[in-house]
Amino acid sequence: MTLIRDVLAELLSMFLADARMTVAILLLVAGVAALLKFTMLSPAGIGGFFLVGCLAIVVEATVRETRNRKS
Amino acid sequence: MGFESSALVAAFLASIVEVVEAFTIVLVVGTLRGWRPAAAGTVAALSVLAMIVVIFGPLLNQVPLTTLQVVIGIMLLIFGLGWLRKAILRSAGVIALHDEDLIFAKEKAGLISASKSGQSSQDWIAGLAAFKAVLLEGLEVVFIVIAVGSGRGLLWPAALGALGACVAVLCIGAIVHKPLSRVPENTMKFAVGVMLSAFGVFWTGEGLGIAWPGADLMLVVFGMLFFSTGFATAQYLRNFESNAAKGARQ
Repeated sequence: MTLIRDVLAELLSMFLADARMTVAILLLVAGVAALLKFTMLSPAGIGGFFLVGCLAIVVEATVRETRNRKS
Repeated sequence: MGFESSALVAAFLASIVEVVEAFTIVLVVGTLRGWRPAAAGTVAALSVLAMIVVIFGPLLNQVPLTTLQVVIGIMLLIFGLGWLRKAILRSAGVIALHDEDLIFAKEKAGLISASKSGQSSQDWIAGLAAFKAVLLEGLEVVFIVIAVGSGRGLLWPAALGALGACVAVLCIGAIVHKPLSRVPENTMKFAVGVMLSAFGVFWTGEGLGIAWPGADLMLVVFGMLFFSTGFATAQYLRNFESNAAKGARQ
């Protein structure tokens, strides 16, 4: 039972090491999908927004973690 | 660099990181309790991992490509950005670097205290420790191979990369016969995080209907952007750390 628990914990930690970051990624993807479906904006522009969003997410996650550890 | 070589390199580097971690624990078991339980545990775990690939691999062929690209792309993004985040934090000194020598000592102490009974149960505990280590680290390797490989039918190059990593670690490990603490684990993690994130953005976007300008070449551009952003962030956080330390001293 410990082994199964460890396997499940490992799988969970692969995707939820930083739950806030995971949620931010899912929201960004949902937003990009909505922009593509419901607006007339250029797909390449939306792609650029998607890329910048991903870069912003990783920067925010690392800065937040650093501040949390300092406070 | 084409998709095939990108998939091969990403799987190779990611697998090296995971295989080195598993190797440390198998080495503890081997040196402490002999190579029989270490090999038994390793072979059993590899069999379970092979079963996972055999069961789930063909299922992926049943999923429409665009759906597969979105699902795998999102998983790659979560996984890749997670690795990149951790590598940036380690590079900036916010969290400690992975220390194989320390893990070796900890596992050794744990195994000694756990096996205070008869000979056969000591071998059983040692074998189980090797099994668990290979299974847990191998799960990440399997995920990376499937994720990197399935988006564009690149399972073979990705699997070859992972196999190459296993062979390389085993050969080097057999020669040096101690934890591979000099492997630049964080640099590799950084590179893998960059590559997986780039793949993740590319495939999620493609699956959602974005025709990337420059097609496959955009993967290189994404990689460069993730690398430069990660590098700059690590630099910024390093300065932040040293300023905080100076402030605390004054």
